[in-house]
Amino acid sequence: MELFANLATGFGAAVTPVNLGFCLFGCLIGTLIGVLPGIGPIATIAMLLPVTFGLSPLGALIMLAGIYYGAQYGGSTTAILVNLPGESSSVVTCIDGYQMARNGRAGAALAIAAVGSFFAGCVGTILIAAFAPVLAAFAVKFRSPEYFALMLFGLIAAVILAHGSVVKAVGMVILGLLVGLVGTESQSATARFTFGVPELYDGVDFVPLAMGLFGLAEILSNLDRRRDQRIAATAISSLWPSREEIRRAAPAVVRGTMIGALLGILPGGGAVLASFAAYTLEKKTSRFSVEFGKGAVEGVAAPEAANNAGAQTSFIPLLTLGIPSNPVMALMMGAMLIQGIAPGTAIISDRPELFWGMVASMWVGNLMLIVINLPLIGIWVRLLRVPYRLLFPCIVVLCCVGAYSVNSSTFLILMMAGFALLGYIFAKLGCEGAPFLLGFVLGPLMEENFRRSMVLSFGDPTIFLRRPISLCILLASLALIALIIIPQFRTRRDEVFQE
Amino acid sequence: MVRVRSPQDFWAGILFIGFGCAALWIGRGYAFGTLTKMGPGYLPTALSWTLVAIGGVLTARALAVDGPAIERSQVVPQLFILAAIVLFALGIERLGLALAVVLVAVTASLASRDMRWSETIALAVGIAALCVLLFVHLLGQPFTVWAF
Repeated sequence: MELFANLATGFGAAVTPVNLGFCLFGCLIGTLIGVLPGIGPIATIAMLLPVTFGLSPLGALIMLAGIYYGAQYGGSTTAILVNLPGESSSVVTCIDGYQMARNGRAGAALAIAAVGSFFAGCVGTILIAAFAPVLAAFAVKFRSPEYFALMLFGLIAAVILAHGSVVKAVGMVILGLLVGLVGTESQSATARFTFGVPELYDGVDFVPLAMGLFGLAEILSNLDRRRDQRIAATAISSLWPSREEIRRAAPAVVRGTMIGALLGILPGGGAVLASFAAYTLEKKTSRFSVEFGKGAVEGVAAPEAANNAGAQTSFIPLLTLGIPSNPVMALMMGAMLIQGIAPGTAIISDRPELFWGMVASMWVGNLMLIVINLPLIGIWVRLLRVPYRLLFPCIVVLCCVGAYSVNSSTFLILMMAGFALLGYIFAKLGCEGAPFLLGFVLGPLMEENFRRSMVLSFGDPTIFLRRPISLCILLASLALIALIIIPQFRTRRDEVFQE
Repeated sequence: MVRVRSPQDFWAGILFIGFGCAALWIGRGYAFGTLTKMGPGYLPTALSWTLVAIGGVLTARALAVDGPAIERSQVVPQLFILAAIVLFALGIERLGLALAVVLVAVTASLASRDMRWSETIALAVGIAALCVLLFVHLLGQPFTVWAF
């Protein structure tokens, strides 16, 4: 019963007044930005990174994690009541959630979304507790060739699962890798692409890059589209679903949780992909498939459970292998590095209180979220009336002060402006930011592991094929590439993203 | 005359080619090395050439296959936001945190067509106070609040 002893350690670390406070704060912020359209968890976590400098490592991670899964709860509120995705992972919830609201079942839809998310969150937490240590123990055998193969697999998966053109996604990964190489090279101390700027000797700083590329670029894009509109939210009657709705929603929640948990672990996966996949599956297999689009309760239950499960299990690759599977995890990795924690197999064994504390806090956080979201729903609906013209100047200010607080350098602020412009151009050209960010984070790690592998094998590239584990991972990568070349899968992929 | 059939892909390709060529030019002096002893120029050069190749494929394909047009930019609101950030960079050390934040908030607000002066001033003062409280008093960042 080692698991229980570990969980006891975790609850001991997480259930202190200070850490409970961070958990609550993270969940509140997460719900807030989930409810508000136009600002997502990536931008928010990037903005709050500088705030975590002064916190304890566990407190910082608990808070940031809370923002990510909290946003999954909040996103459904806006989707159901206003037919706007508050969060990109609740795009599909709009379809049937809003229809349910128009049929007078808004309260039921909200309750099912929240309870479904809670169930998925609990399962996700248990999965992390059960599987992460096993995976970490297995990964202890990994050397640089395995790590290189694994990162390659992650990048390929990120490309395939990105929206839109595959070629563009590959280009974005490579561009990200190149930007990741900026700075002093570790072996020869050659300064690469630094233009003689001292701030670039340690590499491009993560905080201004992420804030510019995600937070600010999103504002620049929104300013082209959005006129301030009055948002009219549907009224909520009773929060109780009918017996029939519960009977249909329960199995959908379980299915959504399973899909979400599975897709969350995969590199390139996470909450957004999970919700799309769960919705598509429900629609294809349901006995009530004609009702989809007209307020089918499964169309709310499954994707909402899936996105929360996916948000939770996507922590597994980061906490066990030190490899971020999506942009939010890349930011979490940045937060860990800021705190002086090297993400990887050693976290669970060397810092058990950190790992188990985070796991425990996720369960506590899910419990808080269901209270935050159901009885207090009225407060969040009222927040939707805050006009965008007041919201975006606040984001700009937070980004500026945040970038400056990294190390009191005005160069970083200007660099952030540059990345904001670049991100805006990317958006105009239909290029996704996510593969770029993953490439940027993995670039230096991949170079290091590739170089070590080459030293290990005296320059023989077949080392990646001669080691069984790395061979398996490379074969899996090849299979992924084969999938994307097969035309049938391509059309399926386009279908999934179009719905 | 060749017609660009997919403007998004075409310009994304040009962007990739541009970045690739720039990286090749800037990195031309970095030692390449061998596979056993990779020099600092090994990976940058390899990646840059790949990027140029991908850009080439994208650009060529954009001439043959139809694709979405580029959404028009309003330009002015975007310039206000970027100007706000640059003003903050220039102002933070000369004016201090409080005034710099007010400056950013007001400049950024000008990007919105629905902006109202009274509301904006109130917002700017409020968020400046909040920033001072959060970053200086709660988080203990070594910012100058007033430069005068």
